[in-house]
Amino acid sequence: MHNLTMPLILNNLTPIPWWAAGASIAAVTLALLFFTNRRLGLSSGFEDLCSFVVDRPYFRRPGLLTAREWRLPMIAGLVLGGFLSALLGGGWHPTWALGMLDQAAALSPAAKLAWMFAGGLCIGFGTRLSGGCTSGHGIFGLSNLELPSLIATLAFMASGIAMTQFVYRVVFHWSR
Amino acid sequence: MTIVYLAFGTIFGFVLSRSGATDYNYIQRMFLFDSFQLYGIIGTAVVLTAPGLWLIKRYGRTAAGRPITIDRKPMHRGTFTGGVLFGIGWSITGMCPGPILVNIGEGKLYAFAALAGALTGAALFGVLHPRLVRPFKLAA
Repeated sequence: MHNLTMPLILNNLTPIPWWAAGASIAAVTLALLFFTNRRLGLSSGFEDLCSFVVDRPYFRRPGLLTAREWRLPMIAGLVLGGFLSALLGGGWHPTWALGMLDQAAALSPAAKLAWMFAGGLCIGFGTRLSGGCTSGHGIFGLSNLELPSLIATLAFMASGIAMTQFVYRVVFHWSR
Repeated sequence: MTIVYLAFGTIFGFVLSRSGATDYNYIQRMFLFDSFQLYGIIGTAVVLTAPGLWLIKRYGRTAAGRPITIDRKPMHRGTFTGGVLFGIGWSITGMCPGPILVNIGEGKLYAFAALAGALTGAALFGVLHPRLVRPFKLAA
């Protein structure tokens, strides 16, 4: 594999090394379990947000409602972490920039919103159906040697590879 | 406790933001096999979390002395199918669930549409759930 390094879209910052990021993620995952007895998982947070507006039995499960007390502040923290990252790294500047996609296809903001909404639908429905995402299946589940997490992780890595290869190599004839 | 979860989320979000995990280009370059960064991040996280988890489970208690409880995820037909669908969404947006929220914090305006889509998708799943139980053999 090549190892292309490039600045982040966020303020052209240089990313931290992969081992430092991976170690930090492991530290937070383990601290979350050891100090608060919580299993890392971020996509379930979408259900907690839905549970405020969608009045269906699925969103009234006792286990979901009691998880609000930790998932909601965790989600708020993710937004805050992104905000602080921008603020402390060159300033917070709202942007439509999408790097390679801007180079490959000059999409209007409206087209970007439609593309992102369609992708979001796949993420929301897919993670609920699969029971987890990169964090709950990919990091916690794999680390805990859970077979469903291995299957889910192989599935989303393979389909992500197939989709990006199709979009960039086939549709956009990307060769950079 | 709220402040503790907020702090965990903030650290997690900051790291995702600065590592490329929330960056559209880094996600596409991972799937194009042009960049090792994301494979390195996920791989390191798993390789370090696994022995830590083993130790915590062996110890069996939280720092406060309560028994450790870990709900294992169920296996059903949706595990694979849902994973495939999620991977397509990850490729399209360049974001997985955590990074959608981090990108909103960073000021990426299009991330609001990804969040709207994800919430709609999750809501749709909840509404259709009774009809998905049988074909995907979900726990009722």
